[in-house]
Amino acid sequence: MKAGLTFGIILLSVLWYLSFSATRLDRLHHRVETSWANLDGLLQRRAAIALELAHSESADPASSLLLTAAAYQAREASIDNRSEAESGLSGALGLLQNDLASQNNAANQELLRELSALTQKIRVAIAIHVDAVNRTRTVRQKLIFRSFRLAGTAPLPVTYEFEDDVL
Amino acid sequence: MPNLKPLRIGLVCPYGWDAPGGVQNHVRDLAEYLIAQGHSVSVLAPAVDEDSLPDYVVCAGKPIAIPYNGAVARILFGPIAFARVRQWISQGNFDLLHLHEPGIPSLSLLACWAAEGPLVGTFHAAAKRQKAIFAIGPILEPVIEKLSVRIAVSEAARATLSEHLETDAIVIPNGIYGNRFRNGRAKKEWSGNTIGFIGRFEEPRKGLSVLLAALPIVSRFAPDVRVLIAGPGNSEDVMKDIDPQLRSRISFLGRLSDEGKADFLSSISLYVAPNTGGESFGIILAEAMAAGAAVVASNIPAFDSLLGGGRFGALFAREDSADLARTMIDLLRDDAKRNSLALAGQEQAKVFDWDTVAEQIFSVYEMAIVGSGSVGLASENRSWSRLLNRDGGQT
Repeated sequence: MKAGLTFGIILLSVLWYLSFSATRLDRLHHRVETSWANLDGLLQRRAAIALELAHSESADPASSLLLTAAAYQAREASIDNRSEAESGLSGALGLLQNDLASQNNAANQELLRELSALTQKIRVAIAIHVDAVNRTRTVRQKLIFRSFRLAGTAPLPVTYEFEDDVL
Repeated sequence: MPNLKPLRIGLVCPYGWDAPGGVQNHVRDLAEYLIAQGHSVSVLAPAVDEDSLPDYVVCAGKPIAIPYNGAVARILFGPIAFARVRQWISQGNFDLLHLHEPGIPSLSLLACWAAEGPLVGTFHAAAKRQKAIFAIGPILEPVIEKLSVRIAVSEAARATLSEHLETDAIVIPNGIYGNRFRNGRAKKEWSGNTIGFIGRFEEPRKGLSVLLAALPIVSRFAPDVRVLIAGPGNSEDVMKDIDPQLRSRISFLGRLSDEGKADFLSSISLYVAPNTGGESFGIILAEAMAAGAAVVASNIPAFDSLLGGGRFGALFAREDSADLARTMIDLLRDDAKRNSLALAGQEQAKVFDWDTVAEQIFSVYEMAIVGSGSVGLASENRSWSRLLNRDGGQT
């Protein structure tokens, strides 16, 4: 009787812990997805601003070409070389930012202001996403998650290598 | 700050609202700033005197004073507090919760456990690695993990967090109302060759003894130097160990009001922070810089990073009175050097203005609420309850 009770309690706590862990992992997966969607949206918006800057009247042909190429690369990059393409766009924007800022063009100034607000957001979004991915990967490597297949069929999130100086 | 729509924000303060402290000040200023921006804010905090609270603070009960981390912490936990936290969360209908210091056993941790949804956590403390963390780490880890975004107030706090809980954080400094300090009025009785110190000077880690040990040397090179000490404590205990000839150089001002503090920092020549450790941010340095005092601080990690490695204030080797004396004499005798240091500090202090800091915090809020609903209670979203519902539907 007593042994049965003990066994029952142990079984219940194991079940509770498994459910707790499954919830935990579910939350992490959800965060990986939402943080990526958010980051992706922000980066797309940045590419759009870059294109607008490139097509503005005050841009000279060379910088316009450079920006357009970088923006299209960033937009069309696959997940594997996305990071590289975004770094390229950051570089192009960084090169031209000072030139553009010195021009007295109201439309461009507005775009640049939006760009700098966006940059700040992207920085936070990258931190959140990288953290979510790393966290999920660490947790999924733990014995209990592997042995009970708590991750189910969810794919292992891809580490997205952003260098710190990306922006 | 471009606000698209006002948010319902819940802030949780782990320490007793009535007791003075950096975290409480930070939560209060942040809450008032957000309210001024048009958001609706509710703060949950422990408090002794429920009647004297501002109307945006909800009392969770009386705090318990327990020794924690080398000081007395006024915190609150237990089943009744947990019930209050759950009630506050379910009634508040918040878009986002901002939990302060969720790593200590108090309200923020309870709220982090109870809530589900967009959660932001700010870590204030910097501490050395403790053995106990090996025991609590595994319990704390899944709870802290629920925070969508973690903020650390300084690089030191960030290092503590990654050491203790192996997780990274975004660094956003503490805020000050810079204008209050920039507009401080210099008072004659505090001006001249004066050295200022603010803090609970009886606590050894505040390092007043380091400063007083440097005084004999300093007074030889700068005979008219005076040390002004503000803050609560018993001055007689300090005075009785001082050389009688030097006693006239030291005055105690007791505790200053906010306004008095701004005037004080605007009057003095040098502000000295001889802390021996345990500081995470050093808000008083930022305030002194904003007020235009030249800052001299010990080279503990928090101060080193706040002063930009010496660019915005002078650093001396911690607990080294001789080095402190050298640094102070150097600045007291060279007006040009002292003034340029003070100017550099005042310029740098703008990054701690609430306008700047709150904007950064708010952009973190915006990131945290993307793609999530509002804040609810965690138990309503457990996978077993969903599983049960699904099973019920199938059979």
